[in-house]
Amino acid sequence: MQGREVLHAAREPEVSVPTIEVGSTGARALEPLVMATHEGKTAFYPQCSLMRARDLVAALDGGSLPTNGAMAVTEHDSDTATLPTPDEGVLAVGCRRVLGACGWVVPANVDDYLTSGEFLAATAASRADEWLSELRDAGLRGRGRGDGSRDTPIADTWTTIQEISRERNSDPAVVVNANESDPNAEMDRLLLESNPLAVLDAALTAARTIGATNLLVYLNGEEDLARDRVGAAAAELTNEIGADIPIEAIAGPDEYKAGEMTMAIEALEGNHRLEARLRPPFPREEGLYGRPTLIHTPRTLAQVRALFADSGDQVGHVSGPGSRLITVAGDVETPITIELSTDDTLSLVKNAVDFDGQLKAACVGGVFGGVTRTLDVPAHANALTAAGLGTNGVVELFDQTRCMLSVAGHRAAFAEEENCGRCYPCRGGSQQLASMLRDIYDGEFNAEKIRELLRVMRRSSICQFGHDAQRPVATTMNEFESEFRVHAEGRCPNDTCI
Amino acid sequence: MEGYNTMSTDSDPIWNDNRDTTDMESIWEKNRRRIDDQVEINAMLATGTATDPDVTSNETTTITVDDQAITLESDSTLLDGLTKVDTEEDVPALCSYQKDDRIGPRSTCRTCMVETDEYGLVPSCSFPAREGMDIRTDTPAASETRDVNLDLVLRGHNLLCTTCGKNGRCELQEVSIEDEVEHPRYGVVHDRDELDPIDESSPFIQIDRNKCILCNRCVEACNDVQVAGVLRMEGQAGDMRIGFQNEAETMMGSTCVSCGHCVTVCPTGALVEQDIVEEATIPLPGFTHANSVGKVIGEEYTSRPRRMSPMYTEEHTEEEPKIDEQTDSIWQYSDNE
Repeated sequence: MQGREVLHAAREPEVSVPTIEVGSTGARALEPLVMATHEGKTAFYPQCSLMRARDLVAALDGGSLPTNGAMAVTEHDSDTATLPTPDEGVLAVGCRRVLGACGWVVPANVDDYLTSGEFLAATAASRADEWLSELRDAGLRGRGRGDGSRDTPIADTWTTIQEISRERNSDPAVVVNANESDPNAEMDRLLLESNPLAVLDAALTAARTIGATNLLVYLNGEEDLARDRVGAAAAELTNEIGADIPIEAIAGPDEYKAGEMTMAIEALEGNHRLEARLRPPFPREEGLYGRPTLIHTPRTLAQVRALFADSGDQVGHVSGPGSRLITVAGDVETPITIELSTDDTLSLVKNAVDFDGQLKAACVGGVFGGVTRTLDVPAHANALTAAGLGTNGVVELFDQTRCMLSVAGHRAAFAEEENCGRCYPCRGGSQQLASMLRDIYDGEFNAEKIRELLRVMRRSSICQFGHDAQRPVATTMNEFESEFRVHAEGRCPNDTCI
Repeated sequence: MEGYNTMSTDSDPIWNDNRDTTDMESIWEKNRRRIDDQVEINAMLATGTATDPDVTSNETTTITVDDQAITLESDSTLLDGLTKVDTEEDVPALCSYQKDDRIGPRSTCRTCMVETDEYGLVPSCSFPAREGMDIRTDTPAASETRDVNLDLVLRGHNLLCTTCGKNGRCELQEVSIEDEVEHPRYGVVHDRDELDPIDESSPFIQIDRNKCILCNRCVEACNDVQVAGVLRMEGQAGDMRIGFQNEAETMMGSTCVSCGHCVTVCPTGALVEQDIVEEATIPLPGFTHANSVGKVIGEEYTSRPRRMSPMYTEEHTEEEPKIDEQTDSIWQYSDNE
């Protein structure tokens, strides 16, 4: 909202300088961020005051680019489609392959979108086979916990849906699962708020490629700005490309479990109470109203668009190409969302935030991620999984003052409160897990009994919620079991919880 | 901020219960699947449960269970195969109900887990039989998972078998004995403060949620078989429980017609016919099922025995019921049915 005030201030002087409202770059600490552009040069003014905004506009009106007090000044083509990223500072960390237009283009503006290329969806029908083989050759994998092809090659899913819909003569549906309520995962919202046309263009491309007849965007009911921009982008896209596949935006509850792929479908079908569906068959075989359903997150769709727009050019690690959006949070002043190539290591995230002191541990993969002492892990799914970490794109940094039992305990309690309740390993398991962790404070610590329960939760829960819910505790115990023992002796090594 | 809400008029958040919005077509109605020859019952039934996909096979398959080959006809799950042979280890599959394929599989208890080569551990009650699958019941992982999950079920159950009308006829008791459970590793509910009150309102059916294992059989019997639309699942996580679709707190406040189907499918003593509530209890003077729990709701109905709940009677009488303030004669009314 500060941004709106600054924009308002910039529009106060009666000048001919055009001012535009763009989405976030992902670097929230810089906001409100004002960029002043003049003749192929852009000056960056982070945390811009109202007075400065007025002065900038006045200076531009006088025919010169003000640079006094700017964080950075960059030179670029005057018609660049992407943010002219400074060489230094947090915006320079990692790459900006799918974030490039974020913070630069007017969200849902067709002219701005077209500066980075034609609509993919416009030619999707005729190029379906070509793109499907590009997708297969690249081996692009789904991203995010709510993706129907999470960490697995999405070309397989697209092909399966084509086959099943032919066999059963059933029309496929496409769901953009953008209801990500993981407390720190900001990347899906960022894409929808800053460059919604890219997400919807890729979704419509997927829909046309697999022969879908409906495209539903499943949003978080609390994220008004994202809803607004998706609505605008959907209208533009329909206008430009055609209304053969209706695009509907439907909001679901702001609850973690509601992002699970089958609960997303339950929500879209209008159930008043959400719980997981059994699988197999998976939604790709029997999903929305029984139809074969393609479910992708905005994160995945942004990768699809980048791949097709670059004509199949691969970046990143060969086992899981592309890039990965990561929100860096934890003991940092302001979280930031950055983009790493999948062959970068996670340790780059430290350059994107002010993190004082020494790293004690990090939780990788969101609220149900894995806890690690080292960030020296590549950002591709295979490496993350092999290291016992999660792939849901959040890296929380913990400093030396953190009590690791309390980190694990809070996540167990979150699982205990937020699960849908359908299966015993998840509902009863998370209850027992939280209770056994609480018992440690009373001196009772049975590591084997806890590990046994963690295994059962992972192996026998119906959905990904229960499967993942055990991970923070399992990985924290692997790394910090001695801290658990000290608590059982009545002492918190960090003096934070006893 | 006004502008941000413009979309909300045509896309209601789903958690606003949509069951009463008859005059307003919700956005998801537009593409609701309609299958020919199938009664469209979703409009009146709000069970609160997920619409599961078909988890049975679609062709004849041959699978191997503990080295024994079995051929299964179409529409089978792995459990259908397990029941045909002597397995190495006992697979309780507690919550499954094989007498009626309109009920389940719910796959809530996960005491049916078996090991497969291709898919790892899978729930046999709800996994389609696929050609050539090789299944083992006796791997350490499979045994451990079934045992732990059974103990998790027992942890949520009031194990007062001695005052339970289903003592000796209880599926949970049966599998616990077969599984040689002596001390469930997570204990049992023993704190009376943790107990829910018993619903004594109906003269025919008693509900004791302390014994409910949330297998959902009653909800399916009530909705999918009887199409009565009374019972539902409600709440999430630890608050999940059997409730009523009209949001009544007691059975007699619901639209129940006392058909009793829920009682016949209940695996435990959670739903019991009133006549046999004390049937199988150990006769200790002064010690009953009701006072073992100590809390009862719905007593206001117990002095007015009625076959159907007043709500049902009111909704289904052809003329307007006339209530006499003095004699409460609406009760008289239903006697003339």
